[in-house]
Amino acid sequence: MKFKKFTAGIALAGLVLGAGVSSATAAATEEKVTISKTITIWTFGDVIEPNLILQYKKVHPDIQLEIKKSDLAAMNGTDMTAACTSKTGPDLVAVEVQYSGKWRSYPKCFTDLKTMRTSSANTTMTTIFKTHKKGQDNYYDLDASGNRIKVANSNYYIDSTGAKVNVGSVKAGLSATSIKPNFIPWRWEQGVGHDGSVIGIPTDVGGMEVLYRTDLFVKAGLITAAQSKNGTGRDIVSKMWPTWDKFIATGKKYVSKLSAADKKKGVGFIDNVGGIFTAMLNQAKEKYYHDNGTDSGTIYAVNPKTKKKEPIYSFSPQIKAAWDNVIVADKAKIGTRTAQFSPDWPVGMNNGKFAVIMAPAWMMDYVKQQAPLTKGKWDVAALPGGGGNLGGTQLGITSYSDAKQEAWDFLSWYLAPEQQLQVFRTYGLFPSTKSIYNDASVKDYKDPFFNNAPVGKIYSTGILKLKPIFEGELNPVIDKAFGDGLGRVAAGKKTSAASWKITMDELKKLTRTAR
Amino acid sequence: MTTVVKPVKNRRPSWQKVGLGGYIALGFMAFLSVFPFYWMFVVASNGTEEVSKIPPALLPGPRFLTVIQHVYEVIPFNTALINTTIVGLVVAVAQVFFSALAGFAFAKLDFRGRRGMIVFVIATMMLPSQLGIIPLYILIAGWGWVNTLLALIVPALVTAFGVFWMRQVIDAQVPNEMLEAASIDGAGVMRVYWSIVLPIIRQSGFVLGLFSFLATWNDFLWPNLVLQSPDMYTAQVAVNQLKASYVIDYALNLGGAFMATAPLLLLFVFVGRRLVSGVMDGAVKG
Amino acid sequence: MSHVVANPSPRPKDKGRSKGAPTPWRQKKKPKEQAEFPGLRSLNGKWGYLFIAPFIIMFLIFGLAPVLYSTVIAFYQYDPLGEQTFIGLDNFMYLLDDSTFWTSIGNTFDIWFWSTFPQMAMSIGLAAVLRNRFLKAKTFWRTILLVPNITSVLAVAIVFGQLFGRDFGMVNMVLGWFGVPNVDFIENPFAAHIAIASMITWRWVGYNALIFLAAMLAIPDELYESASLDGAKSWQQFRYVTLPGLRNTITFVLIVGTIGGLQVFAEPLTLGGSTSGGSEHQFSTLTLFLYDQAFVANQWGYGAAIGIMITIIVLIISGINFLVTRALTTGEAK
Repeated sequence: MKFKKFTAGIALAGLVLGAGVSSATAAATEEKVTISKTITIWTFGDVIEPNLILQYKKVHPDIQLEIKKSDLAAMNGTDMTAACTSKTGPDLVAVEVQYSGKWRSYPKCFTDLKTMRTSSANTTMTTIFKTHKKGQDNYYDLDASGNRIKVANSNYYIDSTGAKVNVGSVKAGLSATSIKPNFIPWRWEQGVGHDGSVIGIPTDVGGMEVLYRTDLFVKAGLITAAQSKNGTGRDIVSKMWPTWDKFIATGKKYVSKLSAADKKKGVGFIDNVGGIFTAMLNQAKEKYYHDNGTDSGTIYAVNPKTKKKEPIYSFSPQIKAAWDNVIVADKAKIGTRTAQFSPDWPVGMNNGKFAVIMAPAWMMDYVKQQAPLTKGKWDVAALPGGGGNLGGTQLGITSYSDAKQEAWDFLSWYLAPEQQLQVFRTYGLFPSTKSIYNDASVKDYKDPFFNNAPVGKIYSTGILKLKPIFEGELNPVIDKAFGDGLGRVAAGKKTSAASWKITMDELKKLTRTAR
Repeated sequence: MTTVVKPVKNRRPSWQKVGLGGYIALGFMAFLSVFPFYWMFVVASNGTEEVSKIPPALLPGPRFLTVIQHVYEVIPFNTALINTTIVGLVVAVAQVFFSALAGFAFAKLDFRGRRGMIVFVIATMMLPSQLGIIPLYILIAGWGWVNTLLALIVPALVTAFGVFWMRQVIDAQVPNEMLEAASIDGAGVMRVYWSIVLPIIRQSGFVLGLFSFLATWNDFLWPNLVLQSPDMYTAQVAVNQLKASYVIDYALNLGGAFMATAPLLLLFVFVGRRLVSGVMDGAVKG
Repeated sequence: MSHVVANPSPRPKDKGRSKGAPTPWRQKKKPKEQAEFPGLRSLNGKWGYLFIAPFIIMFLIFGLAPVLYSTVIAFYQYDPLGEQTFIGLDNFMYLLDDSTFWTSIGNTFDIWFWSTFPQMAMSIGLAAVLRNRFLKAKTFWRTILLVPNITSVLAVAIVFGQLFGRDFGMVNMVLGWFGVPNVDFIENPFAAHIAIASMITWRWVGYNALIFLAAMLAIPDELYESASLDGAKSWQQFRYVTLPGLRNTITFVLIVGTIGGLQVFAEPLTLGGSTSGGSEHQFSTLTLFLYDQAFVANQWGYGAAIGIMITIIVLIISGINFLVTRALTTGEAK
């Protein structure tokens, strides 16, 4: 009896096996092209756009692209460390901005992309850009130093069936230096070591603006229904908060208009006031690290008061100001204390628990997916203080890759403006290639989900305002420690002063071996 | 008129009464046991916004097929199922075989260093596994096993936990008298192991095998690190490819989790009863 | 890697009943456990080396190498890709002085306590119901209770995260029906620990119930019958017949639960949402603390030192566990 059941189990496994094998053989007969090289890419989330991969496969049927998505923290942490230690792993890696400081300290894990040159593999295709001016399409190519040269229209290649396939192309002989002019300078710098070696080239840039609910703003009397409808509302709202103080004041006004029942339910102005801290700091010139001419930078600087070298976090007036601002906002009860990405967050988004989210470009797609019921009710206004950034990614080639040339050919193609334009259109990831910000499809891009706000224009304006900030290895850790510190105050566990002191102690521990 | 002699009323001793309370307790626990799986399915089949409403949707929605379709578009999920099954079966069989061998030796054979070794093995079992991942990767990479199923199979062939388990089982279930009798009859150690020990521990062996299979199936960190190509993925690595954003999309995540769990639930329907008796078998015998 | 729980079958020894004793059904303390069994002399022990060879070889390669690695780097300020400086016992000294370490110990024990004892009581209670001869649909109940055990912790942690949401979670919704205000399962340390403990309990309660059930079925019916005849109430029967019969099993479940409990990791990480363990480290268990220090704060050597401390703590606890349960379950029968 028992044995019978065991055989049933084996039969089940066999069934699964059988089904799989038949589909595997079916797939095998379709692909006949011999693969000359396999490029392994470690990535996360939406960094690599699958349709572009399909296009690349059409152009280079002999190149196999294997894309593996992992959880960001593990992939940019242990996984890459293990790979670099044993010199075995991916050919291309996606490094998120907050880890860029860490990996810049280990240039030996990456290939200096200045030394790479694109092969002629991609030149069978012709042009790269298309612009639309005065009702006319213009096509451009890049020369060796990255300048645009105008070419005739031939933005396609002929595939094996004879069909025209639109695709961007990259000329032979390009190095990282030649494509550098395409990119926003401060984003580019995040992938450059102090000896000038380029270990990563930026894909998207987060930017940071404010998403607000027009319907709730109308209800609170901050804007009129007509303003919300004709789109002038977003300018009025942006002008309402040129500074963070004004932002908090607006929040207070909003909260004061709430009904008693809403207040009891914990409804508020912004999802979480904690975000103000990093947003403010990112607008400063220096955050936790001082650029001292080394790859790792230093967390120490001379404190003008004591004239001694001390950790920047302990005396920087910007940091204290940002902290105090969050405390003020918290005391004013404008936040709902809903952590971003917690299970409560999307529910709150759908139910008007809060009317404002500070959001990088990549978050807009998330809002669309998680709160589709609020379609058209959102709009986008400028971030107080002007410009901000959260997140963004760069792609680099590992030093131990055995397909460096192929990887560079792919990388330079993938990060060419035309391909990045497609990533923007598909996922709303904002490209770092500034050369396309003036392209009609970015500049004039309006998103119906966000009340037809010119999302492309708003975000690109903010992004171009930013200055580079030195991203140190421990930036994410220090951010987290301050976040926890503010969390203690918000949860009513500690006073601001007591929590600040605990935070300083924790930071001392966390940075004890930092230079 | 025939008098039917009523059977003597079943006299149930007090310790054998099963009241309504007992059934309610069992029913409640059974509900709790299954609910998270049900919830996974509800979220996956409704999409996040449906469960983000107040009150949330509590019944399955229409979207589950979309999730399945999405899974099959993104990854060769059948291949992943095959890979996972292969790894799981090999690991399960090897675990049982090697663990029983060593467990038998540790439980019943007299050799020098026996006790010291088992204590040492148990002690090392307690070190958290997270730290071992880097040296393990270096080893596997050195042998060229990255991106092969060998990287999953070989380190799991026999584990300290399996040996410890088998030692306990054999110690408890195999009577010394039987072994003594057999050896007096002239049976060698191999013979004793093969024809006495193995048959007795069959059930417990099955349980160990099944739990090894489940553990292999659900393992994520290590396979996700060593496997590179989609055609090598295990089910858990495969469904992780669904994560389409910087952040958690609950519907997709739980949809993937459900897809990776469904085969196990199916397997459970077939072997659940056997698993239960296996878990308990050791005690009933003997 | 695989986390398997061994079967703690009680040894079916004769229960040492002595004729003429006033309450023969009371189980006495066993003589000396035969666990100290020296090995069968009649079988050639030399075969033992051959039998354990495959395991020992595999263990030396895959089990010991990582252990040695951790032990060595615990004495270094260690960066796997950069500088490695020998610093002696500094990591350990620093650790003893690190308040987060002590918070993590406190959290771990709190979670361990709330996930072990209520669970054990529930398991034994369930087993007592399941053992009943007249229970309907026996196999169905037994099987369904094992279901939580088969899926990955990670997936279940996401579900529980939703259930325990502060504003819109289902647990708070249900509590609301009884007039309980919303509990913040993230910021309130006690609530956070209960949430995690309930995840662990959910996973293991059915499994342990079966293990206790197995042990209960091994207790001969005659013991209960004679107890009943002596007029022992059901509680007394439970106290003096069932519980002593479960002694070995309780010890085992405790030890395994402790090893697992000290390695709780995925649940607090998913629920708390960060490796730092929340604003007051309320989610920081020892293993999460290790992970945070080694892989997020890049203090590899320090992480290894934490790992070694965890091992030492498990060893001590296992010893205490063993002694306490032995005293608890047999001490009464003097």
